[in-house]
Amino acid sequence: MSLSYIFKRLLGMIPLLLGVSLILFGVLHLAPGGPLDVYADNPSVTQEALEQMKRAFGLDQPLPVQYFRWVTAFFQGEWGFSIRTAQPVMEEVLSRVPATLMLSGSAFFLALVVALPLGILSATRRYTGVDYFITLMSFLGISMPVFWLALMLQLLFAVQWRLLPSAGMQTIGDGSLLDILRHLALPVFILAFASVAGWSRYMRSSMVEILNQDYIRTARAKGVSARRVTYSHAFRNALIPVVTVVALDSAAILSGAVITETIFAWPGLGRLFIDSMNGRDYPVLMALLMVGSFALVVSNLVADLAYSLIDPRIRYD
Amino acid sequence: MGNQLQTANSTMQKRLALGLSAAILLSGMGMAQQRGGTLTVGLSYDIDTLNVYSTGFLGDVQATVAEGLVAPNEKAEYVPVLATRVPTIQNGGIKVAADNKSMVVTYQLRPGVKWSDGKPFTSADVKFTWETVKDPKFIAESKDGTEDISSISTPNDLTVVVNYKRVAPDFKSTLFTFGILPKHTLEGKDLNTDNYNQMPLGTGPFKVTQYVKGQFVVLDRNPFYWRKDKAGVQLPYLDKMIFKIIPDSNTLVTQLKSGEIQMATSVPYSQIPQLSAQAGLNVIKNPVLSWQHLDFNLKGPAALRDINVRKAVAYGLDRATISKALGGYPIPIDTVVVPVFSYSSKAVPKYAYDPAKAKQLLEAAGYKAGGDGIRAKNGQRLSFNIMAQAGRSTDEDAQQVMIAQMKAIGIELKPDNKAGVALRDARYKGGYDLYYGGWITSADPSYGVFYSTKGVNNGQGYSNPKIDALLATADSSLDPAVRNKALRDFQTLLMQDLPSIPVTSNPSMIVVTDKLGGFVSNPTNMTNFVNTSGWYMKK
Repeated sequence: MSLSYIFKRLLGMIPLLLGVSLILFGVLHLAPGGPLDVYADNPSVTQEALEQMKRAFGLDQPLPVQYFRWVTAFFQGEWGFSIRTAQPVMEEVLSRVPATLMLSGSAFFLALVVALPLGILSATRRYTGVDYFITLMSFLGISMPVFWLALMLQLLFAVQWRLLPSAGMQTIGDGSLLDILRHLALPVFILAFASVAGWSRYMRSSMVEILNQDYIRTARAKGVSARRVTYSHAFRNALIPVVTVVALDSAAILSGAVITETIFAWPGLGRLFIDSMNGRDYPVLMALLMVGSFALVVSNLVADLAYSLIDPRIRYD
Repeated sequence: MGNQLQTANSTMQKRLALGLSAAILLSGMGMAQQRGGTLTVGLSYDIDTLNVYSTGFLGDVQATVAEGLVAPNEKAEYVPVLATRVPTIQNGGIKVAADNKSMVVTYQLRPGVKWSDGKPFTSADVKFTWETVKDPKFIAESKDGTEDISSISTPNDLTVVVNYKRVAPDFKSTLFTFGILPKHTLEGKDLNTDNYNQMPLGTGPFKVTQYVKGQFVVLDRNPFYWRKDKAGVQLPYLDKMIFKIIPDSNTLVTQLKSGEIQMATSVPYSQIPQLSAQAGLNVIKNPVLSWQHLDFNLKGPAALRDINVRKAVAYGLDRATISKALGGYPIPIDTVVVPVFSYSSKAVPKYAYDPAKAKQLLEAAGYKAGGDGIRAKNGQRLSFNIMAQAGRSTDEDAQQVMIAQMKAIGIELKPDNKAGVALRDARYKGGYDLYYGGWITSADPSYGVFYSTKGVNNGQGYSNPKIDALLATADSSLDPAVRNKALRDFQTLLMQDLPSIPVTSNPSMIVVTDKLGGFVSNPTNMTNFVNTSGWYMKK
């Protein structure tokens, strides 16, 4: 793996993202309705005023012109103004990034730290009570609807026991680290629960497959300790498929968890997306979708790089 | 203002009496009124901007900050706020030109009113508000009424003379009622992007001290507020109001139960039973100025242009069952004018639930039942799409009941629900066969926007020159007798033509801590927060 390889990959992202932006722009504008339709039931907004707004937002131009203008401005860091709030799009998006990073990021790392050991444990104790229990919990995690689990936990922790706040990011007038951690607890747990369930299954099946390989038997025959077999010989090789899944999921850290953010009144990117979608706030939507696409492309690159770190036989030139 | 609101409405007199007696009960314990306390309110939507003229929502938070010259009270009647009286012809505040084509409205402003930064409020602010909102460069959600005004003069600091281009009986429900903008901080600024949108400055009882996007707004007492109570204590009583943004309705209810919020103004009906059982919370029914209606697209399928089919649908609808499906809160109605208004007519043609009559009408008009029970005439089946707002559960539940009721008389309805902009697009272009939804109005509604041929909200292609004439009269007369007669005749005619079936009036449910005193609900689009100065926390 060389620096020039990374550079080449980064360069290759530009046409990819351009293509993505063209598709996103097309799809958004194909959806029925436009941003000015919010004024449609308003008798006092005259046709003249609508035309004026159209010109102000550049909506009177043909679509290709609109796209070209948007794309040149976007890649120069001019993200325009939100139609809904009249604030700069960059500001709107950046103001939501910390909240989303905090929530999805913590959930991501918590899930990783829990899922990998669980998967290994499940694989090494295959067909034992421990394995069955972990499997059961995984299926629960995968199939339990987020909104239901969230509601139950809110009722228990906030209403019944009054231990944790039911929603929000901070107590008004507080906002200390402890306060934010208390608000984080429930949504992070819920987000992480679903990921743990999925990832531990991948880890388990990948481990099981590797543990049945001949070289593992050889290692055991040589008298290598079980711990060493599991962690040095098997684990590293079993990581490849898991890295693929985890890396792709990691892109979601930046696209926001729509449902969880809504239920827990968390001021993140996911909620901004929903509000912008309902108002057809094109500039904000495009920015959010581009940020999400960028995260996905980067996470792909990271996954590829991680392969070669895990397995030196994988090389890129 | 006005699209994304909660819809609802009612048999107001009765409900109002209920609401009023509750209010009297609350204010009856007068001695407990003390300054202090914080009220935390849950807001079910994410605020776009705190500028009353730009927001796509009703402006609950804004109502505690910005004040107008007049405002509607709990009975939807206008009372003076920053003006000392509501202008009428009788008190000389309104002068109609001899040719009956224009009018002059004179406001006397309240002396001694200050903005929350301590600067005096004057007639220049009123004129500035008109000029700013009218400015084509300002992108507003609501420019209501700005075009009706030809000029404004301000002979002195406390007198505003507004010259109207037409006789505009609805002048109170627009511009100067929404709120006055401060000239001294906004002059020369671009209101589209100015910080006013996040930190508005008003003359109201509260001022914004912190607004964290997507999370909450903290409002503190305006130290310069002009209102005093009878004992001479400066209002508001409350030290602080906090609005917390909680978009999920289940979470809203959880927060009410856990005490993290103490008030929410439009709680879903399905959540009411469990909340009314909760100690420490009061449930108040607010009869909002809105009505649910089932519209026919007259530009759509030919069968819907057949009055017999429309009448059959009306007879086939059991409003009582629809209400029951929604917890019994909605009140069945027979006309599009909600009962709180004096000109709501009881003499309209009524279509009481009578499925036998519905079937008989269809039969006589030549629609015979086919093998699947759905009627058809000349191969045209009575099978239509019915659109409602996706995600609005009360409407979707009612829709399901209607589908079943129509099936019973041989009409097939298939749900085709849409949300947001897609819904509006379909509504205005007539992209539906039947549409079930709600309209909410101000305290001075114009029905022309809904039912006249060129009405902006008339997406169904309804046109009747007689209705146009009646509504034109109603929308240009200041004489209550003339206006009321025109509106009563309009209702009769509308119910004969039946382009739209009024179904129910859905009250909005307010849940509030029993510690809050002085609370009075408000049925208009100025929200329940239009006068928060008299609210207080009981110790």
